Amino acid sequence: MNKKTILLLRFVLILATILVMAYSKRGLDITSPTYFVALLYLLTNLVLYFVPETRFSRPIITFGVFLIDIVAISLAIYFTQGMQTDFYLIYFLIIFIASVGQNIRGSIFIAIVASALYGWLLVRSNPGISILDSAILVRVPFLFIVSLISGYWSVTMRRQLKSKHELEEFARKLEDEVARITAKETELRRYSETVINSVASGVIAVKSDGTITTVNPEAARVLGTDQKNLVDKKIETIKGLDTLWQKMKKAIDTSKPFERLQVTITNAEEKDIPIGLSVSPMTSSDTRFAGCVAILRDLSEVKALEMKLKHAERLSYLGKMASWVAHEIRNPLTAIDGFSQLLAHTSDREKMKTFSSEIHKGTKRINHIIEDILTFARTKTQVKFGPVNLDKLMNEITENISGIKIFKKGEKDLIVTGEEESLKSLFLNIIHNSIDAMDKDPKLVIACRKSGKWVITELVDNGKGISKDDLKNLFTPFFTTKSRGTGLGLAIVKKIVDDHNGRLEIESEEGKGTTCRVFLPKARKT
Amino acid sequence: MTTYRPMENLVGEGERMKKRILVCDDEEPIRLLLNESLQDTYEVVEASNGRDALRLATKEHFDLIIMDIKMPSVHGLEAIERIRESNNSIPIIIISAYRAMEDDIIVKTSNVAAFLVKPIDIKALKTKIFELIGT
Repeated sequence: MNKKTILLLRFVLILATILVMAYSKRGLDITSPTYFVALLYLLTNLVLYFVPETRFSRPIITFGVFLIDIVAISLAIYFTQGMQTDFYLIYFLIIFIASVGQNIRGSIFIAIVASALYGWLLVRSNPGISILDSAILVRVPFLFIVSLISGYWSVTMRRQLKSKHELEEFARKLEDEVARITAKETELRRYSETVINSVASGVIAVKSDGTITTVNPEAARVLGTDQKNLVDKKIETIKGLDTLWQKMKKAIDTSKPFERLQVTITNAEEKDIPIGLSVSPMTSSDTRFAGCVAILRDLSEVKALEMKLKHAERLSYLGKMASWVAHEIRNPLTAIDGFSQLLAHTSDREKMKTFSSEIHKGTKRINHIIEDILTFARTKTQVKFGPVNLDKLMNEITENISGIKIFKKGEKDLIVTGEEESLKSLFLNIIHNSIDAMDKDPKLVIACRKSGKWVITELVDNGKGISKDDLKNLFTPFFTTKSRGTGLGLAIVKKIVDDHNGRLEIESEEGKGTTCRVFLPKARKT
Repeated sequence: MTTYRPMENLVGEGERMKKRILVCDDEEPIRLLLNESLQDTYEVVEASNGRDALRLATKEHFDLIIMDIKMPSVHGLEAIERIRESNNSIPIIIISAYRAMEDDIIVKTSNVAAFLVKPIDIKALKTKIFELIGT
């Protein structure tokens, strides 16, 4: 019970006492002890007013104050001889007030003191009253009961009040906690946003249904628009991003990440942009978080540089090719020219034969060079693909080769997708390389097998092998280690394999031999 | 590879030995052509690469060397430089399929008598050889 309430209740008590006394005496004389009591109350109230608030929190203080009040009132009644029938009402009031703010033990104590004092007053003011008189027998226990009830009521009330306070306190704490967590969450969100925004690559996250949830500034720049134009939009509704969405959808559908992809998107500025792409599915038991995140890199500059490099390479090839052509053609040309002059001046039949045969060899050589250049320079679009029976092709190739032992192994009737003439040239070049590399007991093993989407042809020779340095330049056009090589053979092989979307593996050990593995796409079953 | 082709007929009185020419080219038809064109007047010795040419040039006497530049094993220009270390007077004629800048520089510094670009004119070659060593 706080100070204010106690002071107020005591004022009420003073007024009520004075009122009851005045009424019972029918007028008050100035010397009446009632005024003394009232004065005492006012003074103690004044003292209490200056007692610090915190002291009142202790129940013992209020208990003491009201105990003194009861005793003081009882004494005042006793001295004024004013015990009247109605006087017990003032007791009810004081007991009621005093009980408020007490615990149940304090209430019982006040009830005992109050009912005892009242009993004592009754006996004093009515000498000879029987203990069985209704005034004693009814009023004293009644007083006791009332004080108990009010005490109990007050305790209950206070408990309720306390739990209400506790509840309020709890609610306040809860609010504080919520505010703290919200602040923390905002901070965390801002932090992760800063992280994502600072990534030099573009980051785009979508939900499973394709709704864009996150776009960082780099991604927005690549897509040629503002972040706010993308967030919350469905990605498939944005023009030019269908290739990107396809890959993301695949990651969502298969729950598998796909890395180092390359796609071209058309951005909001209608610019085609090649992008390097990695997509990862976001899997979560909470379906709201499931979706896909894509990391993209703008490859425009890289591609432009690549183009420049390719152009430079092409020019350098052109230069090399020019000198190569000069060398390769001028030699047979010298022979043709010279032998034709000699032919004109000889009458010896044998010599004539030799000279004309040399002229023929020279022209054949020039033709071979032209064939090589054409194969090498041919673009992929000029190649017509179809099913090719590898076994049949290999038989055609090997039946014109003599001087070496060829062993064919593996599966028969393997069909690849390709162009017969190109494939012939491909295998012929490899086989010729093997033949050139083999000295004694030349042996070539050709084995074909299926593996997934590939048909793999393995050509193993027992030749002199390729040195580590030469392996690096294996596919460089016009690079040759042979005295009579054009330097185009393996460059052509590589080009044909590339044109067929195939793969080429070459393993070699000097002195032991070389293994060439050609991966060609298996033809689809018709 | 070194090939001696039989001298078919000795010029003049038969007493005098033919002048000797070393032909070095990795192309067999070119060697054959030069041999066939020159064997009436000179004794032609063939070498198919720079290393053989170097070996022959230091071991035997030659009056003239015809050398290709682009060859395996020892490059023509390297062979010329090495020959010049021991013999500064022998005339050398270079025959090459093309002429590159660095060839020019080396030719200037290695005292080369002539640089003929293929396809060479046999008549012009014969004239040049005659100018240099006669018959």
